[in-house]
Amino acid sequence: MSAADPAGPQADRIWDLGLLFITLGSVVYAVVIGFLLYALWQGGRRVESVGGPAVEHGLTQWVAGAIVVTTVLLLGLLVANLAVGRATAEFAQPGALTIRVTGHQWWWEIEYADPEPSRRVVTANEIHIPVGRQVRVEVSSRDVIHSFWVPNLHGKLDLTPGYRASTVLRADRPGVYHGRCAEFCGLQHARMDFRVIAESPGRFAAWYEGQLRPGRAPATTLEQQGQQVFLSRGCVLCHTVRGSAAGSRVGPDLTHLASRGTIAAGTLPNTRGHLAGWVLDPQSIKPGVLMPPNQLAANELRALLAYLQSLN
Amino acid sequence: MVTIEDALTEQPLDPGEREKLERTWQPCPGFRGWLTSVDHKSVGKRYVATAFLFFLLGGLEASAIRLQLARPENRLLDPDQYNQIFTMHGTTMMFLFGVPVVLASATYLIPLMVGTRNISYPRLNAFGYWVYLIGGLFLYSGFILNTGPDSGWFSYVPLAGPEYSPGKRMDVWAQTVTFTEIAAIIAGIELIVTILKQRAPGMSLHRMPLYVWAILVTSFVVLFAMPSVALASQMLAFDRLVGTHFFNPAEGGDPFLWQHLFWFFGHPEVYIMFLPAAGFASEIIPVFARRKMFGHTAVVLALVATGFISFGLWVHHMFATGLPQLSQSFFTAASLMIAIPSGVQVFCWIATLWAGRPRFDTPLLFVLGFIALFVLGGITGVMVGSVPFDQQVHDTYFVVAHLHYVQVGAFVFPLFAAFYFWFPKVTGRMLSERAGKWNFWLFFLGVNITFFPMHFLGMMGMTRRIYTYLPETGWGDLNLLATAGAMLIAASVVVFLGNIAWSLRRGGLAGENPWDAHTLEWATSSPPPPYNFTHLPVVEGLYPVWERSAERPVVTGLSAERREILVTTVLDAEPDSRHENPGPSIWPLLSALPVGVTFIGGIFTPWAFVIGPALMLPALIGWGWPQAIPPDDRSIEEVAA
Amino acid sequence: MSEVRRVHDVSGVPTHAFSHHNLVWWGTVGFIVVEGFTLFLMMASYLYLRLNELDWPPGDTRLPELLIPTINTLLLLVTIVPMAKASHAAHHSDRLAVARWLWLATALSAVSSVLRVFELRGLNVRWDSNAYGSAAWGLLILHTTLLVVDLFETGAFAVLFQLGHAQRKHFPDVSDAADYQYYLSVIYVPIYLILFWGPRLL
Repeated sequence: MSAADPAGPQADRIWDLGLLFITLGSVVYAVVIGFLLYALWQGGRRVESVGGPAVEHGLTQWVAGAIVVTTVLLLGLLVANLAVGRATAEFAQPGALTIRVTGHQWWWEIEYADPEPSRRVVTANEIHIPVGRQVRVEVSSRDVIHSFWVPNLHGKLDLTPGYRASTVLRADRPGVYHGRCAEFCGLQHARMDFRVIAESPGRFAAWYEGQLRPGRAPATTLEQQGQQVFLSRGCVLCHTVRGSAAGSRVGPDLTHLASRGTIAAGTLPNTRGHLAGWVLDPQSIKPGVLMPPNQLAANELRALLAYLQSLN
Repeated sequence: MVTIEDALTEQPLDPGEREKLERTWQPCPGFRGWLTSVDHKSVGKRYVATAFLFFLLGGLEASAIRLQLARPENRLLDPDQYNQIFTMHGTTMMFLFGVPVVLASATYLIPLMVGTRNISYPRLNAFGYWVYLIGGLFLYSGFILNTGPDSGWFSYVPLAGPEYSPGKRMDVWAQTVTFTEIAAIIAGIELIVTILKQRAPGMSLHRMPLYVWAILVTSFVVLFAMPSVALASQMLAFDRLVGTHFFNPAEGGDPFLWQHLFWFFGHPEVYIMFLPAAGFASEIIPVFARRKMFGHTAVVLALVATGFISFGLWVHHMFATGLPQLSQSFFTAASLMIAIPSGVQVFCWIATLWAGRPRFDTPLLFVLGFIALFVLGGITGVMVGSVPFDQQVHDTYFVVAHLHYVQVGAFVFPLFAAFYFWFPKVTGRMLSERAGKWNFWLFFLGVNITFFPMHFLGMMGMTRRIYTYLPETGWGDLNLLATAGAMLIAASVVVFLGNIAWSLRRGGLAGENPWDAHTLEWATSSPPPPYNFTHLPVVEGLYPVWERSAERPVVTGLSAERREILVTTVLDAEPDSRHENPGPSIWPLLSALPVGVTFIGGIFTPWAFVIGPALMLPALIGWGWPQAIPPDDRSIEEVAA
Repeated sequence: MSEVRRVHDVSGVPTHAFSHHNLVWWGTVGFIVVEGFTLFLMMASYLYLRLNELDWPPGDTRLPELLIPTINTLLLLVTIVPMAKASHAAHHSDRLAVARWLWLATALSAVSSVLRVFELRGLNVRWDSNAYGSAAWGLLILHTTLLVVDLFETGAFAVLFQLGHAQRKHFPDVSDAADYQYYLSVIYVPIYLILFWGPRLL
């Protein structure tokens, strides 16, 4: 995760601008401090103050020159900055993939927009995108202000309640890019991450088709027991598993939970152990998270985990 | 040029004059004197000391933040404690230290520098201090009772609103802000009037010292910036307390309204702190370069220009909100162009040192450290003024680095310089130079080690206001380094406090003008008497002490029997009228208390907005009660006739 | 000991002066600037919130009443007359004339303050109904606060001058109070237009 390692045209242009700033800034800094040190060195050796019209005139010329150079540099940077601003704020072209991102305290709801309602995919905290294709990200918030940021791909965009905003980005090479919430949003602002998985169009299409399917029906007795636990305990009050009776959208959609790499908004690997800890006592992992602790007997937990891990 | 030997305390023309002045201007004795003082120097000292106390508390909070972030997944603080602490750090440094200390030091220095006996409205000045003190104590009582605000010093709605911040925490924040804004506005007005109407005869505008110019511009910025946040904080309070919907999007309110109002104050606020700091530098550099400041007029114009442009920048805090391109371009241009007046000042300082004979005492060291840090902070400031680049680094540690280079580098460093420079005037004793140099070098190294690595952390994706981070982010080592730097800063502050404690008792005697400085405060004893000058000086040049003629022209004819001050004209500082300055009074304190009742009580019941003003009424009657009729009572018409 | 030369004798400079010769006048102007700018920002906030709604007032909120606010605006403007007279009398150190005009101004201000209750009621919306209501109440309450404070100040001066406790230095204060009153009356005109004509025209 770094703005200095761009993986798409937007982040790339911004980083070029950043390099220009850093180079020019370093030179300016070295020159100014150089003059300061030289002034101190030669003034410190002086026995008598210098003055008179000639000295003042000389200083005036130096200072005026420095101001002119500063102004010219700033105007140059302004032009470069406007050019990059235009280039990175380009409009979505036809054929762009549209993704709606909704911020919640403290997780990300992801919805792939498709004109056909049956082909809309809803997931959480993990965005798959095809390499090389423009992606239009539309953001909004369900509660407080969040900010959507994937440093390798583009600058950030605030999710403000009551407002919609959008940005366009593109990944030019496959990879897993980390994203974070960048606007302070309360207790667990620190643990509100997500991942962008850029993959070949073929793999993306396969993933997409997989996500369109309803949640897998339990295949074993244990998984069946697990589904019963899911539906009879608190889980069902907040989560959706499409194809089952669970249809609440307060928390993340879990229809394809097992296909995701992480849980807890991108901050824990999606392993059996972490999942168990999270289900039993999320408050100790992410204090303040809106998910309550669950008291489950050992066999109930085993069954629930089996069920959750079958949701691929 | 006058040397120290020449500058012995002058003798009064009339031998009995000084006793009369002593009697007229003496404060009440003992504790009562402390409560009723209206002397700009005692209120100013108290104001500065209180602000420094809050600086230390803010520093302790900063240390807690750095310790928590030293390692990934650290469990020193839980997220709730962390959020309160970083909110307290920002709120303290901005509202209880930054703005107050600027105005407090000006309250002390300005009347001396312009050559008058007291500030324009001394009781209002005392009132402002009490209101500020009540606000600060209130915030910290809340913090101690675990009711500290936790939504950031910028309190973005809806997070800070009634729905997502139930309880009293953000009410405490909103009212604290209101208190400090009232105090700041009061100080701004009385400083403007003191500067425009009380300058010693001869100190026409073009002979006004640069620090006085800086405070004049700053006070005007205060007048237009503070109403914005005071209004916003009251809207927030009403949203929370009586169910208004200013910021509630569900009922037609708007979260961006908060951001506009807050940053319309928030960005000029940076310059409220920077301009006086630049003024300190422009006073200190000529003294230690031992020559006149190069480019006086250019620096004045730069100060004025900065004051104006500072109001055209607020939207650059909102570049990530998805605003239209056109307004972004305008605010980018303004953000870049404000570098020009800052550049003018830096170049003039360098030119002054270039042609001078610098002597490297502690005040100059702190000013040089200031230039080194400020130029860097200015360059990163140009970077974050660019919309696309800002969209990457906004709300990351890059911005944390930038703002601390500017706030610590371009504000705290000059403040330390000023402290070392004026401490002898205020206390009559010099601070230790040896401790001062330790103080400087530990601070300079500490600041760079703490904040420079944060530029990299920001570009590596580390966002602000997070209480922890995962080990695999790779941010651990740079954070540890930053924490080590913070410990150096803490050590430096300990040296500073030790230096004060030691020097107050054992420091060398300062005399009237230990640095061979040129402004009027150095033409009276150290510490100055309650009436500042036995005879008000008459100013003959831009550098009154350096340029005064052997005859030492002074003002006579001001009454020593009553607290009379001379009012002069705005442009030429010609005598205009004489004004009686009020004496010690308990009413400023008794009027500040109902203000406290109103805003603190308002958190618990709307009735406080009735009870508080009702209590205010008798206090104001007491304040305005006519005093004994003065002997001399001539109006302007009679004199004209 | 250095020689001190007597160059500037100011014993002939007046001890009491009006307008910009007087230190207190500058403070009054300072507060006018601050309060005026606060009111301006509140008006700007009202108009900013207006952008969020298609209809103004939004939904089925009723339009504000016009009659009482119009009367009160005129009344506030009329109050300028007695204050100007009081200021004029103060310039001539005519204590009883000052008191007389101040009583009239106080009475008019008191009527304005009472009418304000009906203006608030005539907004036909509660402050907690929607953002429109909040902004309208906010703007009106802000001005009302200043109005009531000014009422007490004018009244206090009237008492002071009536009972003969006034000193020379209080004459310029009356003139400053008049300047403040002019500002308070005049700034209500845009507030009145925004609050009561805005919903009809915007």
